[in-house]
Amino acid sequence: MNKKIISLLSILFLLSVLVASGCGGNDQPSGPASDPGPASEGEEAPESTVVKIGMVGPLSGGAATYGQSVRNGVEIAVNEANENNEIEGVVLELFAEDSEGDWSKAANAFSKLAEQDKVNVIVGGVLSSESEAGGPIIMSAQIPTISPSSTATGLTLGNPYLFRNCLSDEVQASQLAEYAVTELGLSKFAILYTNNDYGVALKNAFEETAGSLAEVLAVEAFMDNDENFKPQLTSIQQLNPEAIFIAGYYTEAAKIAQQAKEQGLDVQLLGADGFYSPVLIEIGADAVEGAIFTAGFHSGDESPAVQNFVNNYRELFNEEPDMFAAQAYDAARIVIEAIKSKGTAPEQIREGIAETENFPGITGNTSIDEEGDTIKDVLILKVENGAFDRIR
Amino acid sequence: MFLQQLVNGIVLGSTYALIALGYTMVYGIIELINFAHGEIYMFGAFIGMILVTVYQVPFFIAFFLAMALASLLGITVEYLAYRPLRRSTRLAALISAIGASIFLQNLALLIMGSRPYSFPSPFVSKIYKTSFVTISKVEVIILIVSFLLMLGLTFLIQKTKIGIAMRATAQDKDTASLMGININKVITATFAVGSALGAAAGVMVGIYFRSVTPMMGLMPGLKGFVAAVLGGIGSIPGAMLGGLLLGVAEVMGAAYISSQYRDAVAFMILIVVLLFKPSGLIGSSLQEKV
Repeated sequence: MNKKIISLLSILFLLSVLVASGCGGNDQPSGPASDPGPASEGEEAPESTVVKIGMVGPLSGGAATYGQSVRNGVEIAVNEANENNEIEGVVLELFAEDSEGDWSKAANAFSKLAEQDKVNVIVGGVLSSESEAGGPIIMSAQIPTISPSSTATGLTLGNPYLFRNCLSDEVQASQLAEYAVTELGLSKFAILYTNNDYGVALKNAFEETAGSLAEVLAVEAFMDNDENFKPQLTSIQQLNPEAIFIAGYYTEAAKIAQQAKEQGLDVQLLGADGFYSPVLIEIGADAVEGAIFTAGFHSGDESPAVQNFVNNYRELFNEEPDMFAAQAYDAARIVIEAIKSKGTAPEQIREGIAETENFPGITGNTSIDEEGDTIKDVLILKVENGAFDRIR
Repeated sequence: MFLQQLVNGIVLGSTYALIALGYTMVYGIIELINFAHGEIYMFGAFIGMILVTVYQVPFFIAFFLAMALASLLGITVEYLAYRPLRRSTRLAALISAIGASIFLQNLALLIMGSRPYSFPSPFVSKIYKTSFVTISKVEVIILIVSFLLMLGLTFLIQKTKIGIAMRATAQDKDTASLMGININKVITATFAVGSALGAAAGVMVGIYFRSVTPMMGLMPGLKGFVAAVLGGIGSIPGAMLGGLLLGVAEVMGAAYISSQYRDAVAFMILIVVLLFKPSGLIGSSLQEKV
């Protein structure tokens, strides 16, 4: 009897270790850490200086799609620069570190890049919690870092080494709320948010703006990787909202859309840049038809720079680039421009990034303000006939 | 709204119950928490998805094929990871189980990548509406199939020769083998049946939520374990009851307490049960386990 309790308790302990370590050790056997990838092709030229570009993001685990897209985007930018010999006498080398989507592992990854690999600059982290964990580390190591996708409010404040190339959640969510009320004429909202930095920041901003212009009836939470949203949707359905704002990523958004439809909950779906992925339509199918969301990138854009990137990406990785890949590509391009104009030392790269002004990126014209935050347009896209269509 | 949430909870709970059965059967026989069970559930879902989308196999055939193939996988895991450790300490086998779980998860990540795959529903989506409750066709099917599987399992355990052998083995392995029961055969059969039930749950959850991912086994695996402990690990009716209770408790927690604490509710229940009734709701500490 006693033995049984002890063994059960030890199991519990093991379980909690499993859960605490970011849901059960998903290290991919071939860690990308030691694999600089094709980026190191140009190494034969001995006289050129090597500039090391670090990358931190979830390459395995539940959020791996986002991290892998970011790595792919950076890889394309680095390859292009190396192939075209874009920076005289400089070869770029990519060091990708896996965070497994876990902030403590991300902090380790940032430390490793700064202390062991001695990188010149970092593109990352991918999730907001990763960048928040890495911020103090790269500030004390004085390594300029540009996040392609960490949208948490105020992320870059007070950290001269931390930049980002994406719109803050606040800007996106409040512009979307305004658009929904004034242009779409919606007045009764429910919010369903993923309980992490990204979801909470979006929820707060949307609730504030929508609450002041119209009415927010319900706010419900869910967790990343959740599959069943029926309890929340049932609660929301009682209140008869006209629209649901889903503050989360596409996988969950698609499932929420499916289950809402199955439940006979017929409302306008709203979302933010976390919606932007072909997977949204693949899983959501007709349930996500008509969904409206903000985005930083639209691969259907006809400009040659965008189409060039999209084609390169398809060729190399055999899939459609998502917003993460595009923003990562632009972030890496901003770094490359900074190296070109200022030099290869971390401090010079930092200056270069900070002075970015009207950089013509594939995610729109981008400037970096004094706080290290980005200034660019918010696109609004709509799912129409199984494709994304730009409506603003 | 209460009734609707109750229905939501029962549908969720019946899938937990199917997973919990796999844990509890294996525990009943060899006193091992088979942590790889969540991954078997995931593989079952993937096999079903691949058969339906790539090979265009009709859904019901794919469903049974997925159960059969997952049985083979369960047997293989037992043969490679647990059988060599049968005479070692229980902790060694437990660690081997965790290793098998991580291995299978990463194997799926390597083969399939990390993105979610769409699992098209084989049924025309249809909603049945009454004045209190809305239920979809998929949910009705999940309830019926789970019920039939549990009925079938009860029959197998109570009435068939192999079921009697399983119960005998669970009570006393050595005496059972003295009575001429082939213990290895019984253990293989237990893993096969448990894995098949897990795979059935995986395929049904796959069509319910229209997607499968390599990580999908993690949480349901843990919840299935909680359900098994809640009902009394080793007890088959306990696993069924524990699964249903856990599903309902989780949904009610999300609906009436806060959706933020949904998973916390599940694990809180586990802690409370372990504190006050460590043998579970139905489980008995020493007597028969299956």
